[in-house]
Amino acid sequence: MIKLMKYELRKTLFVKLIVLAAAALAEIVFLIGVLGDRERMTGTGIVLLTMLAMGGIMVIGLASVVTLHRDVSTKQSYMLFMTPNSSYSILGAKMLENGLSILLAGACFFALGALDITLLFAHEKRLDALWNTIRSFLEQFNEQITLDLPTMLSLAANLICSWISTTAAMYLGVVIANALLKGKRFSGFVSFLVIVALLWLIGYVQVETLDASVSIRTAYWADTGVALGFSVVMYFLAAQIMERKLSV
Amino acid sequence: MLESQSITKKFGSKTAVDQVTMRFETGHVYAMLGPNGSGKTTWMKMAAGLIKPTSGTVLFDGSPVGIESRKHIAYMSTEPYFYAWMTVKDVGKYYEDFFEDFSYERYTGLLKKMELTEEMKTTSLSSGMMAKLKIAVTMARDAMVYMLDEPFNGIDLLARDEIRACILEYASETKVLLLSSHLVEEMEAIADKAVFLKNGHLVDQVDLEEMRREKGISMADRYREIYGHEEAQA
Amino acid sequence: MKFDPNRPIWLQVMTDLKTEMAIGKRLPGTRLPGGRDLAVQYGINPNTAARVYQELEKEGLCETRRGMGTYVTENVEHISALRQGMAVRAVRDFLDRMAVLGISPEQAAEMIRKQEE
Repeated sequence: MIKLMKYELRKTLFVKLIVLAAAALAEIVFLIGVLGDRERMTGTGIVLLTMLAMGGIMVIGLASVVTLHRDVSTKQSYMLFMTPNSSYSILGAKMLENGLSILLAGACFFALGALDITLLFAHEKRLDALWNTIRSFLEQFNEQITLDLPTMLSLAANLICSWISTTAAMYLGVVIANALLKGKRFSGFVSFLVIVALLWLIGYVQVETLDASVSIRTAYWADTGVALGFSVVMYFLAAQIMERKLSV
Repeated sequence: MLESQSITKKFGSKTAVDQVTMRFETGHVYAMLGPNGSGKTTWMKMAAGLIKPTSGTVLFDGSPVGIESRKHIAYMSTEPYFYAWMTVKDVGKYYEDFFEDFSYERYTGLLKKMELTEEMKTTSLSSGMMAKLKIAVTMARDAMVYMLDEPFNGIDLLARDEIRACILEYASETKVLLLSSHLVEEMEAIADKAVFLKNGHLVDQVDLEEMRREKGISMADRYREIYGHEEAQA
Repeated sequence: MKFDPNRPIWLQVMTDLKTEMAIGKRLPGTRLPGGRDLAVQYGINPNTAARVYQELEKEGLCETRRGMGTYVTENVEHISALRQGMAVRAVRDFLDRMAVLGISPEQAAEMIRKQEE
């Protein structure tokens, strides 16, 4: 499994390095802004980092899905499927490597964000304007946001795990398109529908399992659990279909 | 050792392999012959576990092919399949990681014979060099079954001699060698048995020396008899 | 070696080895290549190579010594009988070809004498 994961990382390394480089660049911009008292650069840095945090994680997940697609629909599939590995190992390695990458990226961005905010407070020059900019950004996600650490953590966990479950749904879509609907022109469209349906289902379960009385924090952690649970189920389904039905 | 039982593969309305029952024993080098589209590649891919049959089974050592059989069956496809980011060295390391019977030492030896170096990138290889790399990495395994699909295609004369010598060195009591090729004459002396496929069906299985003794014809002659004048490649 | 793919290959390789023995290129008692080496040298299937030695042994032209390999027979009479037999066959082939051209053995003998002058 570790060996498989090693190669999965290698396959997606380029994209991850780009995200890393971009994040480093944004951080430099931010640091110049804070340390050099250039408010606009600080603001730009913060915006860039926030966008990169969202976008970077999305890109990492998408890269993993694209890699899977290539690994089941092109001749390079022979590399994986000639080896004595079960579909469970192959897909599991992909999911684990992707999950870990996303978690790591998320944790890094989170830690970076925490560090940067601390730095910002330490420098403390006209924070209010900046603070409001950040707030309005995050308010897009939830109205009653309270910016304390545990809540931020639960929000981060929720975002990360919902992205993991989204990629898992996309894995299943890719597997269905290639294993069950091979060669047919509408396979892409059908798998897209499947993915959308699955995501809707996850959202539905997330909403239904909670009532309005729980705190935001609990809600986020519960949603995280549901997302991860679904990820596991979708993984098993996809692996089963791969093992039984996939011809490359 | 390796056999298919009534194996069938349909791609939509097209039947690539039609109820083929064949058995390959250790200690022989088989030539699998037939024109393009006769089912040779599809059969091999089913034996390698890359394609799932529509019906029927392929058995390796009595059990259906799967994870265990892939440990002992070395398949070389006609198409290139290595990851684009790999160098020749990466390819060897990959095989070493996943195949217990792979020997990196044997690999480097074969690379030398094929005039390839470890630094070369897979994307920069010519089709001939790619063909040689595929052979090198496949034969660096100490497998029980070797299925080589067009091992001589696109390869220069000297390298072909090396490949032939390699095949003959590996041919032993404990191994099955299955070669499919259009270059019928190339295989005339190194194979001792031949199977002929036509339109997905098995049409003949022969012991070559016996056929030469009884009928005074070569494998190429038999090929011409079966397939007529459509495919008489040299 | 160029094979005629229409005739059993083991027979052709065997003939090749027999010729080598007959002309002294492979001396009595010397070691013959191992089965696999013979296969690689001639570019033939190992089973075919094994057959070659089987048949040579049947004709008493070689012997397999356990754990040591296959050796050309040390029976010198056997080798000269082999050489003789191959020579006779060559003559017969020649006379057959001459007969096809309508030349009798006596006429053929005359032609040979003239050639030597």
